[in-house]
Amino acid sequence: MLKLRNVHTDIGGMQIIHNVSMEISQGEFVALLGSNGAGKTTLFRTIAGVLKPNSGTIEFNGVEIHRMPVHKIVGLGLVLCPQGRQLFPQLSVEKNLLMGAYPMRKDKMRMQKNLDRVYSLFPILKERSNQQAGTFSGGEQQMLAIARALMSDPQMLLLDEPSLGLAPLIVKQMADTISEINKELDTTIFLSEQNANMALNITDRGYVLENGACVLSGESSQLQDDESVRKAYIGA
Amino acid sequence: MELFLQQVFNGIMFGSTYAIVALGLTLVMGILNIPNFAHGHLYMLGGYLLFFFAITLGLGYWAGLVMAVIAMAVVGMIMERIVYRPLNEQPHINAFIAAVGSLLFLESFAMVVWGAQGLRVENPYPQMIDFMGVTMSVQRLLVIIGAIVLILGLHFFMKKTIAGATIEAVAQNREGAMLTGINVNRVSSMTFAISAATAAVAASLISPIFMLSPAMGAILGMKAFIIVILGGMGSIPGAIVGGYLLGLIEALGGGYISADYKDVFAFGALILILAIKPTGLFGKGEV
Repeated sequence: MLKLRNVHTDIGGMQIIHNVSMEISQGEFVALLGSNGAGKTTLFRTIAGVLKPNSGTIEFNGVEIHRMPVHKIVGLGLVLCPQGRQLFPQLSVEKNLLMGAYPMRKDKMRMQKNLDRVYSLFPILKERSNQQAGTFSGGEQQMLAIARALMSDPQMLLLDEPSLGLAPLIVKQMADTISEINKELDTTIFLSEQNANMALNITDRGYVLENGACVLSGESSQLQDDESVRKAYIGA
Repeated sequence: MELFLQQVFNGIMFGSTYAIVALGLTLVMGILNIPNFAHGHLYMLGGYLLFFFAITLGLGYWAGLVMAVIAMAVVGMIMERIVYRPLNEQPHINAFIAAVGSLLFLESFAMVVWGAQGLRVENPYPQMIDFMGVTMSVQRLLVIIGAIVLILGLHFFMKKTIAGATIEAVAQNREGAMLTGINVNRVSSMTFAISAATAAVAASLISPIFMLSPAMGAILGMKAFIIVILGGMGSIPGAIVGGYLLGLIEALGGGYISADYKDVFAFGALILILAIKPTGLFGKGEV
């Protein structure tokens, strides 16, 4: 479904992503692990089209997307739920969600259906549908960001560090919800995390990114037992 | 009492123009994150285009107004495309310089085409109405009513339509908007079209009352800035309230003290309000 071949990305003349190749199939739930500054966010922004790779190719369902503007990539069904959430702070919760359904703005029925679906996934958003997004707590904003990304019915969701800055209890809930999205809605998910333990518990397999290069990959259970991963990311 | 009511009426009339022009400025400021210094000059060009369509081509006032508004929407889109979009990823100072360049261009353009002397658009509604001792010309009433209709229409567009909501979304979080699939360039283009078109409405409504001159854009542009700062950067209600407030301050100060000082009152009010509330009347501060 998603295929990266020898992707390099520079930011301000510095090479951040070196020669990354990976492949993710329909329905998979894949983790992207790495410490702070390893290049996880840059890689996701490159896939989503916010940054353009300096070389290499990215294909989504057989279509080359590495030169496409972001909104076209969203239209193909590949959606990034970014780090820092990037919500519309002065718009209501419901308007934030409706903006998420922008690619299908002409199909009011489907918009309503998706809205009902994310409301059943996140009941708290329904209770507070008229509240301004900027007044939410960190955990609630993260839920809203995921819900907004789901509003366009994406085939594949890139989740960039959804657990960042959340309390442990909330992280657990978040992990359950993300698994549910993968299983129930059949959405392919690529999850970037510093919290390797959480990520490897719920995903099928994972990639490890170090200094912008992919150094390791494998089944999540294998990675969990891997000595170097345990040392570097789990701390046991 | 009659002097007071007369000045309030005049203040609301001026305020209507100010509110519309400031509204257009604040919309674009939200999208670009920089002020379009040439906004007052778009207003000026709108007035001249009304003259061109209504008088030179002889289409009459209302058809001329519609044509001027459409033409200015196109001018706004062209300006966004060739002046601002190429500078999107560049430091803000580049866009500042480009803005100053385009205002000089527009002013010189009007000077070359229509000359430096003022032009008069004949008043289509010179009749006078007397109401509670206040004398008002029909055209002046039309300015007030036109502004109200425009403001309500724009409010409806922004709050009730998806296209309108995209303007707010891009202003509040550009990258977030991109990631929901919004074509940010198209939204910028649309915002410029609306901004320039509303400036043309303001100019078309008021040009039968005052002379057109190439310099009129600079003065009004400056005042629109005062209003936008006064009302709180990027705030739409702030631009509207600020516009009417400035009109009233000028008219009352001018009427009771001296018309020579009316700009002093305007800038004095700005200094006073910013001293008390540095984020402006409706400013939210940094989020």
